[in-house]
Parts: sequence; C-alpha cells; structure tokens
Amino acid sequence: MFNIGPFEAVNWNKPTSDLAKTFWDQQWKQMWFPEEIAVSKDLKQWKDFEFRDTYTKVFGGLTLLDTLQTNIGMNEIARYHEDLQEKAVLTVFDAFEAIHAKSYSYIFTTLCNNDEIDEIFAWVKKNEFLQYKAKKIADIYSSIQENDPESLWKAMFASVMLESFLFYSGFFYPLYLGGQGILRNSAEVISLILRDESIHGVATGYFAQNLFKKFSKEKQDELKVWGYELLLDLYENEMKYTDDIYAETGLSPEVKAYVRYNGNKALMNLGLDTMFPEEEINPIVMNGIRNEGSTYDFFSQKGSTYAIAKVEPISDETFNFDFLKK
Amino acid sequence: MKEYLKLNNEVLNKYSSTGTIDLQKDKEATRKYFLENVNVRMRYFIDLEEKISYLMEEGYYEEEFLKMYSMKFIKKLFKYAYDYHFRFPSFMSASKFYEGYAMKSRDGKEILEKYEDRIIIIALYLAQGDEQLAEKAVHHMMESYQPATPTALNSGKKARGELVSCFKLAMDDTMNSIAENIGYCLELSRLGGGVGTLLTDLRPLGDPIKGILNRASGVMPVTKLLENAFSYSNQLGQRNGSGVVYLNIFHGDIEEFISSKKPNADEKIRLATLSTGVIIPDIFFELMKKDKDIVLFSPYDIYKEYGKRMSEISITEMYYELLDNPNIRKLKRLNARKLYTEIKKTQFESGYPFEIFDDNVNRVHPLKGLGRVKMSNLCTEILQVQTTSIITDMDKPNEYGLDVSCNLGSLDIHHATETNNFEELVDTAMRLLTNVSQMTDIVNVPSVAKANKLMHSVGLGTMNLHGHLVTENILYGSDESIEFVDFFMEALNYYSLKASMLIAKEKGETFYGFDKSEYANGQYFEHYIHKQEKMPTEKVQKALGNVPIITADMWKKLKKNVMKYGVFNAYRLAVAPTGSISYIRSCTASIAPCTERVEIRDYADSRTIYPMPYLNNENQHLYVEAYDVDSYRMIDLYATAQKHVDQGISMTLYVTDQWTTERLAKLYIYAWMRGIKSIYYVRQRLQTLEECVSCSI
Repeated sequence: MFNIGPFEAVNWNKPTSDLAKTFWDQQWKQMWFPEEIAVSKDLKQWKDFEFRDTYTKVFGGLTLLDTLQTNIGMNEIARYHEDLQEKAVLTVFDAFEAIHAKSYSYIFTTLCNNDEIDEIFAWVKKNEFLQYKAKKIADIYSSIQENDPESLWKAMFASVMLESFLFYSGFFYPLYLGGQGILRNSAEVISLILRDESIHGVATGYFAQNLFKKFSKEKQDELKVWGYELLLDLYENEMKYTDDIYAETGLSPEVKAYVRYNGNKALMNLGLDTMFPEEEINPIVMNGIRNEGSTYDFFSQKGSTYAIAKVEPISDETFNFDFLKK
Repeated sequence: MKEYLKLNNEVLNKYSSTGTIDLQKDKEATRKYFLENVNVRMRYFIDLEEKISYLMEEGYYEEEFLKMYSMKFIKKLFKYAYDYHFRFPSFMSASKFYEGYAMKSRDGKEILEKYEDRIIIIALYLAQGDEQLAEKAVHHMMESYQPATPTALNSGKKARGELVSCFKLAMDDTMNSIAENIGYCLELSRLGGGVGTLLTDLRPLGDPIKGILNRASGVMPVTKLLENAFSYSNQLGQRNGSGVVYLNIFHGDIEEFISSKKPNADEKIRLATLSTGVIIPDIFFELMKKDKDIVLFSPYDIYKEYGKRMSEISITEMYYELLDNPNIRKLKRLNARKLYTEIKKTQFESGYPFEIFDDNVNRVHPLKGLGRVKMSNLCTEILQVQTTSIITDMDKPNEYGLDVSCNLGSLDIHHATETNNFEELVDTAMRLLTNVSQMTDIVNVPSVAKANKLMHSVGLGTMNLHGHLVTENILYGSDESIEFVDFFMEALNYYSLKASMLIAKEKGETFYGFDKSEYANGQYFEHYIHKQEKMPTEKVQKALGNVPIITADMWKKLKKNVMKYGVFNAYRLAVAPTGSISYIRSCTASIAPCTERVEIRDYADSRTIYPMPYLNNENQHLYVEAYDVDSYRMIDLYATAQKHVDQGISMTLYVTDQWTTERLAKLYIYAWMRGIKSIYYVRQRLQTLEECVSCSI
C-alpha cells in the first residue's frame, strides 16, 4: 500500500471507479459553512427553552462522533483504500466531517456561555454510553492492516454504522423541534450535515459492497455475522444512550423507532438485509430530512439550493433554435 | 407537540414510498388547528354592533371610513359575506391567514377578525362610502379578487402601515441626488417597502470629478450604502428591508456589478442582501450573436455630449453613434459572449442578476411619448416611465420628476372563470386599485407622491393558472394552455382598459400626458382591431367558463371611447409573483408552474406541508413541476400573456444542476427573441443523491 515507487498519479480522465466522480460532484455541490446560517436568531427561544440540558447533550454527543470520523475514520479508510479516485472522494468527505464537527461548536458558542460549554465537553468525556460507542468504532478503525481488505471492509462497515445509524439518535431532536418552529436555525445546520452524511453513508457503503464482492462466499458469511453482531451490540448501547439523554423529554420511544429505521438504512447502504421491522416514524422528523429542495423564500438571505455553475462557452450554435420547429 | 402540525406533516407519510398523498390528514389538521388554536383565542362579541363599536373605541379600526356607512348597511354586508359559507381549503391557507393577516389584540393573544371580517373591512375601507362598490367588492373578493398583501393587511386598521409597498427611484449623477435617494430608501424601507434604484446614470469608477480624472468611486460604493440603508431600516427588526439596484450592461462598472453577487466575491464589493438587475438593450444580443466585443461607456460623457442621461437614450439606436463620437470615451472592450457567460455563471450561483430587456419593454410601451422605461422593481413586473428629479443645493427648491409606487392586486383565474360577470369583476378590481392609489400619499418621497397623483398607476395581475389548468385537465405548457392564456389575458386587458376609460369619463380626468400616449392616437389598438378573429377550441372554451371572447369590433368600439374620454390609469396590468396571498387563497402562484406538487414550506413558526390546490391522487400527473416543464414552452406561455399586459410579468426560470451556462444563455436568448420583457430569478434544483446515482448507473 505504501509505494516505495513508482508513485502513481490519480488520473481522473480514466475512470477507475463507477461512481467516484458522481459522489465527488455531489459533495462539492453541497458546499456550505455553518457561518452562513444565522443561529443567533434562535437565541430568543433558547432563553426560554425547557430542555436545554438534553439539547446540549445531543450536540455534545454529535460533536464527539464527528471528531472521531474526521480524525480517525475517513482518514484511515482513505489511507488504506486502493482506488485513487475513491481515495480522493474519501479525503473530501473527511474535510466535510471537519466542517460538521466545527459547526456544533459554532452552535454552542452562539447559544451557551463558556462554563456551559466546558460542562458539555466534560460530560462527553464521562458519559459511558457515548464513550462505549466511540471506543468500539475507533478500535475497528485502528485495526486496519496493510494489504488486508477484510480489516478495511470492517472499518467501512463501522463507518457506515456511524454515519447512517449512530448519528440519528442525536439528529432526531433538532429535526423534531425545528419542524415545529423551535430553534429552527440550529435545525437548519443539522439538516445540512444530514445531507452530507447521507452521501457519505451511501458512498462508503457502495465502496464496501465492491470490496465485499471480492471475498469468498465463506468469508462473506463470516463477515456478515461479524457485522450483524456489531450492529446489535451498538444497538443495545444506543437504546441505553437514548434513555439516558432523552429521559426528561418523554421522547425516548420515538427516538428509538427512528434509530431502528436508520439502522435498516445503514444495512441497505451496505447491501445487506434489513433487520428491524418497519414502523411509523414521527412525520415531522421525516419531512425534516426531505427538505432537499424545499421551497425557496425570495426574501431569505441565502438559498441553500444554489450551487457551482458548469461553464460552457456561448457559440454560434447557441443562437440556433431550429430544434424548436416541429 | 402541536397535534395539528403533526397531522399536517402526516400528509406525506406514504408519499416517498407509494407516491400517494393523504389529503384527509390536511383536513383533519385544519380542523384541529381551529379547535386548538383559533376558536379558543377568538374574542366573543354579542353581536356585530358590539364588535364594531368595540374595535373602533379600542382604536383597532379607524373610525372615519366606518362612519361613512349606516349600521344597517354594514349589517347587510356582513350577512352577505357570511352567506358564502367560506371554508379554508387547506391548513396552509388557514394558518397563513390567522398568523399573518387577521387582526389580533395588541398583546397578540386574542383573535379579533375572521376571514369574512377582513374582507368586509377591506371593502368598506377602499370603497370610501360608495355602498354599491363596497357590496361588489365583498362579492368579488369572496370569489376571486385579492388585493396585494399591504392593502389586505392594513386596510381599515388605525395603527397601520402603507397600502402599497413597492417603489422605484431614479438616481441622478450628483452627490445631492445620491444622498437624497438614500434618504428615500431609508424612509420607504421603514414603511415596509421594497425599493428599486436605478444606477445607470452614475459615472463609473475612475471618471472625472470637476474635470479631474480618476476621482469618481463609481457605482459599487453606492450599492454598499444602499445595502446598509436597507438593513438598518428594517421595520422594528421584523423583516430586513429589501432593495434592488439596476445597471445598464453598457455601463463602465458592469463587471464589478455582476461579480458583486458571487458568493466568493471580495467583501468590499460583495452584496449579501441587496438584489441586482441588469438592463440589456437589443444591440447587446446582436453583438453577441456576431461574436463581437461590446464597448462600455460613461454616462458622464453621454450627458456632457448630448445633454441626456444614459438611461434617457436608447443604446440600441445610439450605439454606433457613440462609437464614432471621439468625445465619448471607450472605457473598455469586452467580448459579449464571455460577459454573458459570466452573468449566467453568477445566476447559477446566486440567482442574480435579474434581466430587463430594454427594447422589448420600450418598443411596446404605450406611453413612449412621455419617456422611456428605464428599470423595474424588486419583482420585475413593474415597468413604468420615470423622469429624474433634479436635487439642488439646500437653498434652492428641488425639481421633482416622476418616480413610482406600485399598488397591486390579483385575480384567482380559477374563480374568475366561474364568476357570473367577468366585466364587473375586473371593473371592481380596477376601482378598488384606483382608490388605493388615491388614498396613498407618500409625503416624504415627493417624486413618488407626485407621480402617484398624476398617473394613478395600478397593477392588476393573476394567479392560480396552473391550479385552474389542472381542474380543466390541461397540461401546463401545452398548446391548449397557451391558447387559454391568450384569450384570458386579452379579456383582462380589454376590461381593465374599459374600466379605466369609464373612470376617466366619470371623473372627467385622465392620467397626466394621456394626449401623448398611444391610447390617445389609437395606435395601441391597431393590432387588436386588425387581428385575425379565431374561436377557442372546445376544451379551451370550457376552461374559459364565463370569460367573454373579445372581438375586433369590441376593440374598435373601445378605441373610439378611449380616444374620446381618455384613460384614468397610466398603467393597469402587471403580474406579480404572488407569494403569501396565493397561499391564503390556496392558489398556485402567479401564472407560474408549481415548483412542487406538495410544497414543504419552512416559515418562522413551523414547517407546513402544502399540497397544491385541487390536487388528488388521480390528477397528480397534471401537476408537472416547474423543473420538469419544457422551459421553452413556459416562455411561450409567458410571451403570450405578455402581449396583453402593458407592464411586465414576473417570470422565474427553473433549471437543474445538470444545466450548463450555455444552455441557460440559450434560454435567455430565446426569451428575449420572444419579446419577454423581464426575467426574475433563476432557481436551481439540486439533484438528490438517489437521482444522480440512479441516472449514472
């Protein structure tokens, strides 16, 4: 993996991966920065908000997961992944993870004072469930070996678990509140993060599937068992974590249903069978994810649906409208 | 959690998996909303008399207009309105009305008005004591006429904002004028207005001041001043002020002006909240077609040489004269295609600038005898002549020119086709709009007040086209849809002109400069009188309902009357983008295609799910979303409507991220060729990951 030489240059003119360019384009089109969203508009509501403790813990937990994903997850996977184009895509994802981790701090700085912020970060360090999942995933990331596709696949599996599954116990709350007009701007930040995470989950899952195909049938079965066991382990921990942070709000059952729904989605990203039964998800939370092209407000400051232009010169042909003649 | 929000959101429960919409949930949400949020907050009155006198005595309603009517008449009017048994057709319409429009107690807790009450108060207020007009106003507003938000919101209230909210100002190339106009912007923004400012006449960066070269700072610092003025004057923090600036594409500062909306522009020139628009004469497109360079000019030179401002000449007619004249500096040469590509690029990335096709506007301008239309407003549908004020030193009086305030209203096309008397509907709408113009006096902006007094301009428009087409089983963009628009808009044009003529006849007064207009010399009617008579196809005839077909003979007769009695309103028609008011009425916006069959709309208060009007699981295929409508057919439809509209139509273009700048340029060029006058935003839909993975596999 670490070439002594000759070094190979990434050649985007010759596709080596089916979808690398699609993922690359889509991710860059979604470029955003937290500072573009006026979280300070939430301040007034924040002062009277009842469940501030739950809210900050939710964000504290998310910060830890994104930190993990920036510093170890995407980094390690990119490092050991072979295809140079896909490697580039994973590196770009990594940059976005760093933006996500920073954006929670942006929300904290806007809403909380320094003591409160220190308190949250201290809580992150000592919450057993949070530490448990972080350690579990980090261990898998750090066990990747050179020239060992199996350990790489496991890391990708863990990464998809993190991005398509474990984040959602946290995402639930801001989406749930935002849809009701509470702390809407923080929710806007979350929906932008979610938009990125869903590409990361799909892309990493897709790369993992390609890797998976190359294993023998026996190996595949073995890995599947390993995967489902990991998922169950994480799931049990996630249920406890949910009870722990949502205790005050009475929302635990709804959050859990949402976590299961996303557990199934994570498995689908990896090309595996789902394991939780279908159940009803809070409609406001569901519509919160769907707001991809939600209707543009002409008086708003920034339309989230504008992106980078594809430039092509105007030519004589531009003035030819013969194609319209029937 | 609020039960009605949950129910409203449940409309989409099965949408992504099965494509079906649960409309029953929206009905339940509306019902719940009334039970939980409206009925409990509605203040109870023993009877109407108690209600009216309470609202007057407590200073909620103005007394003066109510005193113009007898209590007997007011009672009759209330009964008349309530006999319509109005019900809100969607949760969106109900919540939008009660959150935004209904009168509430000062602490915001009690609701003091129902939908019918608001309509009656608007009618009584605008009719100014004319019982007959008040009655007609209630009738038509209960059916299909909707005044624009500022009129609907403020009519009759004692503590109220203005009835109009959209303005255009022309800035002159002097420090006095710049300062004066910035003051106007502060003032108008305080009143809640959106303001358009023309910058074409300002000398560009590096031009001489007092004959010394390289002294002028150009247009961009002025735009920054304006941007700051609007964000300072923000209606008690409720809404950021909004403004747009317009510049001619041949102006020396055009490149910086275009770049200013790029998200990555230098902070010194970047305009974060101010909108921009570019004025483009025909000659630009001609040079671009031939792949030529264009030359940028300075308005300073033009004024010195010809005694006319840059906005007062037709660049298309004067271009080669300007090139040949050695006293006119050629500031810069730019390749037209490259410049236009740059504009398209900025439009993809920011939605701006708007474009106004100068010659398409002025070629058919009925008041060309009075002067040129130099710019548009914040929504690009207002196109009226302006003359620049001369702002002098403080010790001399100013000479005020004509600026613009626009006062708008819209017809719900669907209900307009069902009304028993279309002529009376349009006549009533025109009279209400005319009264708004006569009741408005923006004293702190004399050029606006002066033009309003002289011109009585209004802008009647339409909405719910797509909704109506769906009920008639007609696809948006089809030949039938375009034919429908042709007949409908011609009838609207005819009856609005007839109404304005009748008002002139009754008052014995026309707008200022009528004698120089194309109405006075009959030119305006030429193509209508010599048109080829045609009958609508059966399907279109049915879709038109009670809207009459206008014959050449009818136009001939109208021409005679107009030439005899004159016209009261200098401008009559303009089709606005209709945001909030179409939500209240459960209409599709303007004459635009819907952007989503079911809109997910985020407001400050909550996320609202809004299924398009008349949508059900059987007619979904007729609600083709704007991004999927053939853009060329959409432009054909707008171009057809535009033939019958004396001002403009706010037109947004819809593209996906698969489009290139070249493809977008082609669409704009087509719009220009078809005689479209203005293009508002470009809206882009980002593909979702599912879509782009599925199309690449």
